[in-house]
Amino acid sequence: MKRRELLQAGGLAGALSFAGCSGLVETRATGVPAVPENRPDGIYYPSHVEGMSMVGKASSGDYTVGLFYSYPHRFWNVTGDSVSLTQIDIDDAVHLMASVWDPETEQVLPETGLSLEIYRDGSLVSQEAIYPMLSQPMGFHYGANFGLEGDGSYTVRLSVGAVSTRRTGGFADRFTDPATVDVPFEYSEAAKNEISFEQLDDRVATPGAVDPMSMEMLPDAFAPPESDLPGTVLGSETSDGARLVVTALETPPDGIDAEGSYLAVSARTRYNRMVIPAMGLSGTLTRGGETVYDGAFERTLDPALGYHYGAAVDGVEAGDELTLSVDVQPQTARHEGYETAFGGLEGGMPDVSIRAP
Amino acid sequence: MQFDGDTDRSRRAVLKAAVALGGTSALSACLDRTDDDPVPSGDPDAKPPRQHAWREYVRQDDHGNTQLPAHQILLYLRLDADGPPAADDRDALAETLAALDRAYEWSHEGLLHSIAYSPAYFDRFDATLPDGIDLPEPTALSPFESPAFDRQDAVLHLASDRADALLEADRTLRGERETANGVTVRPLSDVFTVDSRRTGFVGAGLPARNQDAAGIPDSEPVPEASPLFMGFEAGFRGNQATEDYVTVEDGPFAGGTTKVIANLRQRLDDWYGEQSHEERVMEMFSPGHAAAGLVEGVGDGLGSDSGIDRFVGDIESDAREHGRVGHAQKAARANRDAEGNVRLLRRHFESTDDIGSDQKVASLHFPSLQRRVSEFEAVRRSMNGTDLTEATPAVRQRVNNGILEYIFVRRRGNFLVPPRRLRVFPTPRPE
Repeated sequence: MKRRELLQAGGLAGALSFAGCSGLVETRATGVPAVPENRPDGIYYPSHVEGMSMVGKASSGDYTVGLFYSYPHRFWNVTGDSVSLTQIDIDDAVHLMASVWDPETEQVLPETGLSLEIYRDGSLVSQEAIYPMLSQPMGFHYGANFGLEGDGSYTVRLSVGAVSTRRTGGFADRFTDPATVDVPFEYSEAAKNEISFEQLDDRVATPGAVDPMSMEMLPDAFAPPESDLPGTVLGSETSDGARLVVTALETPPDGIDAEGSYLAVSARTRYNRMVIPAMGLSGTLTRGGETVYDGAFERTLDPALGYHYGAAVDGVEAGDELTLSVDVQPQTARHEGYETAFGGLEGGMPDVSIRAP
Repeated sequence: MQFDGDTDRSRRAVLKAAVALGGTSALSACLDRTDDDPVPSGDPDAKPPRQHAWREYVRQDDHGNTQLPAHQILLYLRLDADGPPAADDRDALAETLAALDRAYEWSHEGLLHSIAYSPAYFDRFDATLPDGIDLPEPTALSPFESPAFDRQDAVLHLASDRADALLEADRTLRGERETANGVTVRPLSDVFTVDSRRTGFVGAGLPARNQDAAGIPDSEPVPEASPLFMGFEAGFRGNQATEDYVTVEDGPFAGGTTKVIANLRQRLDDWYGEQSHEERVMEMFSPGHAAAGLVEGVGDGLGSDSGIDRFVGDIESDAREHGRVGHAQKAARANRDAEGNVRLLRRHFESTDDIGSDQKVASLHFPSLQRRVSEFEAVRRSMNGTDLTEATPAVRQRVNNGILEYIFVRRRGNFLVPPRRLRVFPTPRPE
C-alpha cells in the first residue's frame, strides 16, 4: 500500500485532515502509526515499514557512497547506556540514508563517520554529522531527517571520514583518508509519496524482524555466513538479539602485531544477519579453571572476517571456555523494532559463554 | 553617493553606505551606535614593536580576561605578478601601513592591525626561511576534514571596537575612499588584489543580535551575555598563552609570531535543540565541569581560568563513564609545554560570512598565534580525540566527541606575522 492510499483510507487518526493538503503531509508525523504498545524486550516486528528510493551513488578514493531517501523516520539515539527517541520534526521532509562501501570488496564500512551538506542553487540548506543507524530492512547505515525547501534540484555533498576502527589484512593500509562526493537530488514530494509504506498487521510487536530489502542497488550489510568465516568456528550464542559467532584463526590477521591465535567475534542481528558494529566487547578465555586471556575484543575491519571484534590469545584448545561481555551496547541509533534489542531501552546484554569443541 | 574625500559625513551615513555595499552584514548590528566621539588618531612612533601586541591595548574584563575588539575584518591579499615583490610595491605598502599608523591610535578605540605572510609568499624568493621559523603549508588536521587552503600571499587583520573606524579603514584600504580618519591612505589595490574579505564580531550581545543566520535555530537560543554563538565564554586568561610566549625569540624574525587562521561553519541546531545546558557543558568543557556545576550560564563564574587542567587526566575515564568528552579537555592535553605553560594564543571571533556566497551562515574565524605552527597542529589533532574513539564506541569520530559534531572546517591558512620593523614584504632572510 502506498502511503498516499493509506492516508486516504483514513485508517489513521487525523490523516484525512491532511489529504489534499500536500504541503503538510510530508512534514507531519501524524500519518505514522504510534510505536506499538506492549512491544517485547527484544527484536520485534515494527508497526510499519517504509521503502526507500535511491538518490544516486558516487565514488572517491577508497569509498563508494550510496544515497537513499524515504519519509522522515523516528529513531532512537544511543549514547552509552542512554537511549532517547528522536521524533519526526514538523520541518522534516525526508529521511536521508547513506551507505558507504568498498568498491573493491563490496563490503559495507561501518564507523567511517559521515557528514552531509545539502545545497540548492549554491545556497546551504542544511549540514550535519549524521548518525550510524541499524534498521531491519537495511542494516547498518547513516541516517538523519532533513527539512528541504520544497520540490526542486538539490546537491547533496557527502563527506566520508577515515575509518576509525582497526584495519587488518588487505584493509590495513586503506580507508585512511577522508573523501567527499556530490550527489544530485531531484526532489519532488509526489515522487516521495510513491515510496512504499506498509503497515504490518498481526505480526506487529511480536518477536521477529521484517525481511531485508532487495539489495540490488547497494551491497548488503550482512555479516558473513558462519560457513564462510575463516578459521574454525567455535560456536555462537545470542545476547539480547545479537548473535555472537566466534571463530579461531591460527594466527592473527596481518596488521596485528601479536603472536599466537586470534579469536574473532562476528556480531550479527539474530534474524537478518546484519552486522552489529560499535560495541564495546571484552572476553575471558579460561582453560581448566585458569584464565589464559582477559581483555578487550577490539573493533576490527578485515576483508575476510568482515567487521568483527578480535583478540590475540596464546592459543585455543578443546574445552576452553570463552565468556564474552558487552561492556558498551552497540552505539548506533535504532529504527523501530530494534530499539528494545541489543541493550536498547530495556538494557541488558547478558554475558555469553562458548566452549571450544 | 559620493565617497571619495567625503570626510564630513556622519559616521552613521558611512556605516549605512558601507552596509549597502554588501558583505558587511556582520557589522550591521553596530548601526544602532550613535557614538560620535572622534576616533583617536595615531602616533607612528607610539606603536609597539610587535604587530601582535594587542592585550595591553584592548579592554579586559573584571577577571583580567582579554576582551578582543568587537569588530574585525580579514583582508586576504594576492600579488598578481610572479616572483618577489618589486621595489615600488614595497614603497607603496610601506606608505599604506604608515598612513594607517597615523590615522588611528593603536587601541581598541582606534585600530589594531597586523599583516602576515604565507608560505606561498616566501616561496617567491630563492632563499628559504630560517630553520627556526616553523611555517608549513596548511594541511588537513583531522581524519574527516577536507578544507580549502588559503594560500594568498598575505592577510591583513583589522580590529576595533569602533565599527565606524574599522569600516572606514577597510574601505580606504580597498580604494573606496581616499581618507581614513582624516589621513590620506594609499589603497592596497595599488599593490594587491583583495582576494577575500571576511568580517566578524565578538563580545557579549553581538552573537545574540546576529543569530538570525543559517546554522542557528529559529528559537534564537544564543544568550545575550555570550560573547560567542555557542553560548559560553572562551579564551580565559589562564588558558591562553601570553604574547611573550608566542613570540619568536631568536633570528631575524625575533619579535614575530606565527598565525593559523581557520574558518569553521557552525551548525548549532542539535547543540541547542537536543542538548541540555549540562550536556553542553560536558561537551564544551568536560564532564567534570558538569558534575561539579562549575559553569553557570555563559561561564562568567569561572573567573580567569576555565579550570580545565584539573580534568585533563580524567578524559579516558570520562569517555567510558559518560560516553562523552569535553572539547577544552581534549585540546588542553596538547596545549601545555613541559612547564605547564599554555602554548596557543587563540583570538577567534564570530561571523555570519559564508565564504563564497552571500548567504548568512553562522561561522567562526579562528586565528591562533603560537611560536611554531606545529604547536597549533598538535593541539588541533588532540582535539580529534581519536584515542578516545578507540577507548569506547560511545565517543565517535564527531559525535559525543567535544564539539566536533557542530563545527565544520572550511578553510585554513598559515602565516608568519613579522615584527613591525619587517612588516613590509619581508624576505625570507632579512638583514
